[in-house]
Amino acid sequence: MAKEKTKELLTHVIDPETLYDQAPCGYVTFKPDGSIIKINQTLLNWLNYPAEEVLYKKKFGDFLSKGGHIHYEMFFRPMLNVSGSVKELSYELQTRQGTHFHVLFGAVALKNKNGQIVAVNAILTDNTDRKRYEQELLSARKQAEKEKLNLQFLADLTPDLIWTSTPDGTIDYINARFADYFQVSERMFTQEKFLSSIHPDDQTEFQTTWAEKLDHGDVLSHDLRLRNYRGEYRWHLVKSVPHYNDQREIVKWFGSCTDINEHKLALTKKDEFISVASHELKTPLTSLIGILQVLENLKSTPSSPMLGDFIDRANKNAKKINSLVGELLNVGQLTAGQLRINKEYFNLYELIENCCQYVRTEHVFQVTINGNPELQVYGDAGRIEQVIVNYINNAVKYARNSGQLIISFDEHIEYIKVAVTDNGPGIPEEKIPFLFDRFYRVDTGGSQYAGLGLGLYICAEIVKKHGGQVGVDSVLGQGSSFWFTLPISPDQH
Amino acid sequence: MAVQLHPMESILKRNNVNVIGNGDQVMLFAHGFGCDQRSWQFVVDAFTDDYRVVLFDYVGSGKSDLSQYSSAKYGCLDGYAQDILEVCEALSLRDVIFVGHSVSAMIGALAAVQNPEYFKKLVFIGPSPRYLNDEGYTGGFERADLESLFEFMDSNYLGWSSTMAPAIMGNADRPELGAFLTNSFCATDPEVAREFARVTFFSDNRADLAKLTIESLTLQCDEDIIAPLAVGEYVHSHTPKNELVILKATGHCPHISEPVETIKAIKAFI
Repeated sequence: MAKEKTKELLTHVIDPETLYDQAPCGYVTFKPDGSIIKINQTLLNWLNYPAEEVLYKKKFGDFLSKGGHIHYEMFFRPMLNVSGSVKELSYELQTRQGTHFHVLFGAVALKNKNGQIVAVNAILTDNTDRKRYEQELLSARKQAEKEKLNLQFLADLTPDLIWTSTPDGTIDYINARFADYFQVSERMFTQEKFLSSIHPDDQTEFQTTWAEKLDHGDVLSHDLRLRNYRGEYRWHLVKSVPHYNDQREIVKWFGSCTDINEHKLALTKKDEFISVASHELKTPLTSLIGILQVLENLKSTPSSPMLGDFIDRANKNAKKINSLVGELLNVGQLTAGQLRINKEYFNLYELIENCCQYVRTEHVFQVTINGNPELQVYGDAGRIEQVIVNYINNAVKYARNSGQLIISFDEHIEYIKVAVTDNGPGIPEEKIPFLFDRFYRVDTGGSQYAGLGLGLYICAEIVKKHGGQVGVDSVLGQGSSFWFTLPISPDQH
Repeated sequence: MAVQLHPMESILKRNNVNVIGNGDQVMLFAHGFGCDQRSWQFVVDAFTDDYRVVLFDYVGSGKSDLSQYSSAKYGCLDGYAQDILEVCEALSLRDVIFVGHSVSAMIGALAAVQNPEYFKKLVFIGPSPRYLNDEGYTGGFERADLESLFEFMDSNYLGWSSTMAPAIMGNADRPELGAFLTNSFCATDPEVAREFARVTFFSDNRADLAKLTIESLTLQCDEDIIAPLAVGEYVHSHTPKNELVILKATGHCPHISEPVETIKAIKAFI
């Protein structure tokens, strides 16, 4: 009885036509050539077509994208012919408005008794969302791969050595520069290898600091010398920062080693210079203080015949200090790029003549000037004088026994060349390239070569400002010729 | 370890060559893209009584030796044409009646231009010397269409075909069909299929048609979007000694969908 009742209920509730039309999936029946002969409302809704425009008017292939249509002809139709059914192909259908949606497409062939297909029943399930997720996943993966390549490229291109390590310090990534510096293949490196590449003098300190930072999760910043594959040590600034996750646990350390070798060496040079400069200033200052003490004692006897002599000596020392401080100020200006050049026309011969006065009177040098006495030169007379005086002073200082000094200048097509030539001991070839460097001092020691090592550097900078060049020609045992050039055309610099 | 085979044997193994039927006249059937030699099963029976039928799979399809696949060789249709000639050589075939479906029509044409002595007659089913439209030429495809097909093939190879095979294999009354589909659609290496599709659809063999000296037949289907009527007519008018027959069968695979009509047309020609 109950069964009967259920059956009756079902016939009331379930109308096969409604069930067909309102099903949550698309139903379509077409002939072997694709002509649609039956279609449900769901699919019509998806396609946005009224039934009368589809039935007997459209073929199933009409709704497929071109790619889908080719696939349908090449794969679906033969497949259906031989197997009688096809399951779950992923197709894209086009709506009346030209938009697309994705379906899973399955079909069963209805055959006559001769085995020929008379119609095809198909079921379509909308899987647009799933397709979209797949697409998003795919593009996310592509994007991620692209970013990864970008980052790798950047990491490899940066001049720093870059690495990452696990929280316990195991190195798990090194960039191309890192691999190059130590010449390791496969981009594999260990903490032990890194430690053993550190200069022995820096090792202990680094290890202690690093262990401490690892423990506390603090940022590391440490200078040390790293040995490259050629066995050469270069100063590096090693930095390492921890990367935390949301739970404030360290998941990784990111590190870099920046080559600071030049900087470090420059600093060392500067330190040396400061000590030299202090020493240089101290000598005349000590003398001055001594003289002032004597003068203090002589205050009561202002008529003392020694007074004049002491004042002269005090003056000399004060001048020495003044000149040293002047040089320091010049260097300061040069470093800050503030050396000013005021150009004007001046007579070069007269200028050189003036520079030589004191050498002629104070020293035992025979000075000869060779050059056109009428030549007018465009430049900063005061600065050029400074250069020539410096060249002369150098000759006096280093070629004391030379006895002869020739100052010559001649005109070339584009420039004027001025040379100060002595017949002193000459300069060893290996030292020549450094003569015009800042803080360079010929390391023969002894007070006779006193100075800050700044003179020639300042000369070079002045000449450079004028657009000219400086240089030395020297032959050991025969003498040296310090020269500079000045461009002739006033607009050249 | 690979067993060292005699060159002839290795070719027969490479292309999974099968010889069936009785008769002196040889018929060589070459399957199209996306299928294998079993796509001929609805027509071969009509020929085995009177002909010696040679079937094979292209490398990368069906039961061919996938290890023999190389992108360098099969990067153009000539590589496939070479294989046809090698099969003829290995079996000492002469005066063959060649039946090629889809891309195989052009592969056969290339082989026949190179070594006409191997061939007696050529049957092209749905041939196309160029799929892409060109100035003054209708191939039926724009580049974008093909890119969409490739994308489509990728999604169907990698996404859903795995769920397809078991359902097909459950075909109780004709179990061999299950095997056909499983092998045709799943045993073909997706990478090979992808390359084969590109080689096929980007090929241009229009210039080769005029070089053919062998008598040929073009079987053109009605409503074939892969090789439209205009293409069939082009083949007919540009190939010396070519006969054109337009079938009532629709689509691209008349030998599968309408085997009777197809057999009749081939028999009338040979």
